[in-house]
Amino acid sequence: MPRRSLVVRIAQIVSLVVVTVLFVVLILSAFMNDGMPLTTLVPGGPSAQQIQDLVVPVFAIAGVVFVGVMGILLFISWRFGQDKDDDPEEFPEQVHGRTALEIGWTVLPAIILAGVAVATVVTILQLEKRDDDAIKVQAIGNQWWWEYKYDIDGDGNYDGAEDIHTATELVIPIGREIAVTTTSNDVIHSFWIPGLNGKKDAVPGLFSPLKLEADEEGIYRGQCTEFCGLSHANMRMLVRSLSPDQYDEWVANQQTERGEEPSDPVAQEGLAVWKAFCAQCHVINGINDEELAETPPPLVSGVAPNLTHLMTRGTFAGSIFNLYGDVDSTDRTDGDNGEALGFEPADVAAAGDPGEALTGGPVDVENVNKVALEEWLRNAPEMKPMYAQGGRGMPNLELSEEQIDQLVAFLMTLN
Amino acid sequence: MAITEATPGPLALPPGDTDTDSRPGGIFARPTSNTGWRSWITTVDHKKIGIMYGAAALVFLLIGGFEALLIRVQLWAPRGTLLSADLYNQVFTMHGTTMVFLVVMPIGAAFANYLMPLQIGARDVAFPRINAFSLWVFVAGGIFLNSAWIFGGGADGGWFNYAPNNGVIFSPSHGIDFWNLGLIITGVASLAGAVNLIVTVLNMRAPGMTLMKMPVFTWMTLVTQFLLLFAIPVLTSAQVLLMMDRLFDANFFNVAKGANPLLWEHLFWIFGHPEVYLMILPAFGLVSEMLPVFSRKPIFGYPFIVFSGVAIGFMGWGVWAHHMFVSGIGPISVTAFSLTTMFIAVPTGVKILNWTATMWGGKLHFTTPMLFSIGLVAMFTIGGLSGVTHSVAPADTQQTDTYYIVAHFHYVLFGGAFFGFMGAFYFYWPKVFGYLLNETMGKFNFWLMLLGFNLTFAPMHILGLQGMSRRIYTYDEGYGFELWNKVATIGAFILASSVLLFIFNIFYSRVKAKHLPHPGADPWDARTIEWMTPSPVPAYNYDPVPTITRVDDFWYRKYGETKDGKLVRIAATDDVVQKRSDGKHIHLPSPSYWPFVVAFGMPIVAYGLIFSLWLCLIGGIIMVAGIYGWVLEPPDDPDAVHDDHEPGHASDDGTALEAGATADELPDADADAEADTAEKEAETVG
Repeated sequence: MPRRSLVVRIAQIVSLVVVTVLFVVLILSAFMNDGMPLTTLVPGGPSAQQIQDLVVPVFAIAGVVFVGVMGILLFISWRFGQDKDDDPEEFPEQVHGRTALEIGWTVLPAIILAGVAVATVVTILQLEKRDDDAIKVQAIGNQWWWEYKYDIDGDGNYDGAEDIHTATELVIPIGREIAVTTTSNDVIHSFWIPGLNGKKDAVPGLFSPLKLEADEEGIYRGQCTEFCGLSHANMRMLVRSLSPDQYDEWVANQQTERGEEPSDPVAQEGLAVWKAFCAQCHVINGINDEELAETPPPLVSGVAPNLTHLMTRGTFAGSIFNLYGDVDSTDRTDGDNGEALGFEPADVAAAGDPGEALTGGPVDVENVNKVALEEWLRNAPEMKPMYAQGGRGMPNLELSEEQIDQLVAFLMTLN
Repeated sequence: MAITEATPGPLALPPGDTDTDSRPGGIFARPTSNTGWRSWITTVDHKKIGIMYGAAALVFLLIGGFEALLIRVQLWAPRGTLLSADLYNQVFTMHGTTMVFLVVMPIGAAFANYLMPLQIGARDVAFPRINAFSLWVFVAGGIFLNSAWIFGGGADGGWFNYAPNNGVIFSPSHGIDFWNLGLIITGVASLAGAVNLIVTVLNMRAPGMTLMKMPVFTWMTLVTQFLLLFAIPVLTSAQVLLMMDRLFDANFFNVAKGANPLLWEHLFWIFGHPEVYLMILPAFGLVSEMLPVFSRKPIFGYPFIVFSGVAIGFMGWGVWAHHMFVSGIGPISVTAFSLTTMFIAVPTGVKILNWTATMWGGKLHFTTPMLFSIGLVAMFTIGGLSGVTHSVAPADTQQTDTYYIVAHFHYVLFGGAFFGFMGAFYFYWPKVFGYLLNETMGKFNFWLMLLGFNLTFAPMHILGLQGMSRRIYTYDEGYGFELWNKVATIGAFILASSVLLFIFNIFYSRVKAKHLPHPGADPWDARTIEWMTPSPVPAYNYDPVPTITRVDDFWYRKYGETKDGKLVRIAATDDVVQKRSDGKHIHLPSPSYWPFVVAFGMPIVAYGLIFSLWLCLIGGIIMVAGIYGWVLEPPDDPDAVHDDHEPGHASDDGTALEAGATADELPDADADAEADTAEKEAETVG
């Protein structure tokens, strides 16, 4: 049946060629990390760099072994394949084993691995070292967003008068170590900023240490990596690293409380709407922080994002939507994708930029992504799957369009 | 070595006691048919049970594979809309659970059941009815687990099902209850099977087969079953705690009441990591059978292959927390488990190198089983190397829970275990069913699977390293995930088509086989004694049971080896293999309804726990009735027909007569063999 075996021959060649090319391209693409905000291969801080320094040689060793084993297998297949003309009753030499060889290839890998082991232990210990002047931050996982508490006064407590409670975005200064402690209010999440360090699970009831430090100003993306239920995919992190001066300004602004009535009459209406619909779960320091401390929100996690300085953030809803940015690109979509989300999430390439509002400056109202914000207030569970009926996530508040406009006007004053 | 041969041992039923009513409880007549569907329900034949394990696993493979395709279609492009977040979470949970518990484990069990008794020259396993019970419990558990789709949706907590996300608050549907109870049920099957197969290997080997003359697959089966024996109870304990939490408001995993969620993680992975090895070791055993046959050389370093398998079996218990490097267990634990994980690579590497050395200098026949075997060595090497990269704990903190891990374990479990199984399907098909699978289609099957497999899973390495998280139902544009997700999805469909081609080949070859010569007992010129039996293997396996003198005993009945390693044929294969006899003088265990009855009481109890405790009562009554019938049922049907005696007088003197026959057949059966048969008598209690 020569024709059939020709098919097999072609399949063999196609398969081998495609797989070989695939592996070559994959290895090459490991070096192309532009436009990959979550890549683990481009360290942005000392911890990530230490991991990189450890893993690159390990990858190299693994690569050599990989090429070696594949090469040997291909060589054996080529060299020792039985020809059709060979006498089937003619046998190769019957080798049952060689003890020296066995001992050799038991010991040799063990030695290589012992070397890797030493380097590994050294790196584990390095990653556990802490700077004394590190900024202490608690990263608290909630379904499906992150809360951050800063221990600004350094008393080991995260609820002091000067301490900051914020959500969704972690703001840090460059060149200074951030001693993060991860924990959770509901299920296990995992805190991961690949550019800055490996991940650490946020386990309810446990407090696990992880240090972060950024070398440069900019934005580092993250993604929850421990499956945490329905909207696990929509639980992102965003780290903004600022210059030390800018960070200090940011801290000073975050420490301020709201309290004064907004001047704009629409925003004043919005505050009333907020108190009626939002204040049961969300906190604005100076407005309802004391009430909520006494009667926690009817949520499984017992907390919702703190909105005191909402407009200092560039993103919202677990960093899946931009709070600022080109409104056109985030228009409501119709048709195929529209039914699932009703809305295009943020284009990560350009994370929302709060501009001056970041450190408490005026909100650039023209640049606020009102479309996204309104859509969220219109029907949050449609934009991000949640179980509001089970006390997990934001319900559809069934606000009127007027209430939504008022609420947006109010929220835009929260710089 | 027939079941009732030889003098009764201390555990044997005294002669005459089995001559009781053959209708215990007066409900069912003792099943007698050896053909037709009823024979499959009531069989206690390890071969039929093995086939049914395999068939059930293939059905579940299609279900799990369909779920895999749903996942791949959803991830084809950013913001896929095929599945909702909720449904996606159910699908990936059920895909993982199905593939691990209902596909890879039972295919291993299928080969263990079918082959292991043949490889050790036994008539059946030690406890044939318990063996049937294992099968039906597994089937019942698998159906129960998948019935969640009808009753409100599958489990949505991931196959690892971490607490507290597995609690009622966070997963209020019944999906996790189905997952939990279903796996408790299949755990019963694994545990009963493990005890059974361990006893079989240790007690029922043919005369002369010492442990170090056992085929490698039998060795790996033994290690696997020990792993199951100790691993399954850990999972079951954790699941019973979870059941108490979910159904009876206990607080084992309730953080608000002081629980530590890491308890579940530890229990799960103390089970879960040995689980990984017990999925891969059967395939290691199978490839160790196939490579020597098609290299025309003995396995290189038999004792090293065996002991590296045993070493993996032991070391596999000391690595579980490498699944928990980022869980906050602390740097000392991380260091310890990082080191143990690295060094488990050593025995695994020994195996790879021994297989390579087996092929080196051989005359390789590139049959389909050989291609899959080489494929296993190559693909498992990739999985093993990526495994070493995340034994490096700091690296793992970047890699864990990303697609890099998904790539890794698919290279281990698909490129490793499943490639081995595919090879073994092609290899053992003629032995089991009496016809060869089409080789041309088989080779095409291999190349298609190799292509599809690599296209699907190789890109996941890079996806993971570039930050794609696991278990996400959607991803956005701008992360650079588009290209490789598309490649993976294309690969998945090629992979699926290669599996369908295999199933097509089964039927195609079956039809074509009618016009082809029968493959005979030994189509591959193989080495181990199972190839001495006629194909398909008769119910009694061996007649007479061979006496074993060395590893690859069958091979050395055909060939002699000179001192300088040259082979000389000393006997024609046809003269060495066994001829089919009527087997009527061999007393086989009789079929029984009861294992089936007891097994199917279990899911009814489980439904009861979820929906109404009244159902528990019904299920419980069925189980108790089944156990009652089982206990009262004589192990051997006194009415079964034999040469030696008339129906109705089976046990009066049959034992003594057949013991005499043994002595004639096996003149050099030594005291050990006698002891073996005495042990085997014990099986009649089962």
